[in-house]
Amino acid sequence: MKIPPQSAPQWVDIVTGKRIYNLNFLAAKILLGRLVMTVKDNPSQENIEDAVELLHQLYTYNCKTPTVSQDIKTIFGQG
Amino acid sequence: MEQEILSVAETSERILTGKMLLLAGEEKLLIQLPEGNWIGGTTPYFIIHGEEAITSRESIFVTDISEISTGMTIEVYDLNQLQTVYQDGCDSTFSFLIIPGMTEIHKGFALCAPSYKKFGARPLIGWVSGVHLDDAGMMIPKVFNGLTGGREEQRAVVMHVTLTDGKTADVGIVNLFEQGDGDILSFACDGFFCHEVEVNGKKENFAAYIKRKNLDTRLPLVADYYGAMVNISFQDVDQETGEVGFYAPVFRGVRYRHARIVADYGQILASQFKSSNLSRKNVLFSCNCILNFTYGTLDGKNTGPFVGPISFGEIAYQLLNQTLVYLQVHDA
Repeated sequence: MKIPPQSAPQWVDIVTGKRIYNLNFLAAKILLGRLVMTVKDNPSQENIEDAVELLHQLYTYNCKTPTVSQDIKTIFGQG
Repeated sequence: MEQEILSVAETSERILTGKMLLLAGEEKLLIQLPEGNWIGGTTPYFIIHGEEAITSRESIFVTDISEISTGMTIEVYDLNQLQTVYQDGCDSTFSFLIIPGMTEIHKGFALCAPSYKKFGARPLIGWVSGVHLDDAGMMIPKVFNGLTGGREEQRAVVMHVTLTDGKTADVGIVNLFEQGDGDILSFACDGFFCHEVEVNGKKENFAAYIKRKNLDTRLPLVADYYGAMVNISFQDVDQETGEVGFYAPVFRGVRYRHARIVADYGQILASQFKSSNLSRKNVLFSCNCILNFTYGTLDGKNTGPFVGPISFGEIAYQLLNQTLVYLQVHDA
């Protein structure tokens, strides 16, 4: 599964809580539980970029995992 | 993948043929095993196929991962070294971690794992070892490095496993609990103990709150991590000092609610099977929390493909409580 680039706006929507998706990849849910809270506490550009980088890295590391593929389709609507 | 309950002699035979094994059993059994490709932790409690929970002081629960694995490395970590667990293991597919219970490394992992560098870079699953409840205070939980025969009281053991080509692994959880409709509870700092809680934003002594609300402390606090329900189990409530202890740390800023039991555990499992294509063929490992058994929540319930050690803490990327965790193997 090809992971969309870090610059895709959907990543920002997720970490800022602007869009909430029904995700399946457990590590992402655990990470997002903290990232969304951190960004909400301090929504600076730097904090948002850091959060996006961590989330994008996590999906990239695990790109062969079925639940990651499901999440990418859910978020970006692509196969 | 085979999961069986075996004698010391049968387990030794598997080890001597070079099998890669994940073991659980009492210390007096594990110390008798020969050196080989295995790691283990102490517990006398297991779920085995076709039966409910059993206690065995003479048997070892054996998960044989040889058929689907091409290699593994075993490493022992102290608390400081454990920070690199997601960076180690090179090209391994997943890492299997056993931590000795009620130790500094148990507490340290619980507090710090979510902040480890490269968090989640590969699946991390495992469990916290313990002892027979009759031996609490007399025996100490241990973990074992089979390569050296070394047993550890204060350090954790990890097997970094590489699966055969075309296979990938994923970690899942099944939680009996979900957030109830009660107050939103939050805490000023991270930790296993607290005196004060914020109830819907207003500070109060937590022990007094528990008494006032007559909370059933067999039910955990539950946090919603982007849809994943994460439990914090109560260890004790001291009304004299006002201190409340937990089996896993609460975290500052996280919003908790006291749990309600999901009515039909069987239905949850059935739903998990349906949505995840879970079966005995693709569930490589699972463990379930001792509190789910001592509190009677799982009495008489069929746990399907989920067999394995009954644990004193569960690991799915971070420490969990009162939760079933499992590792599923897929075709990539």
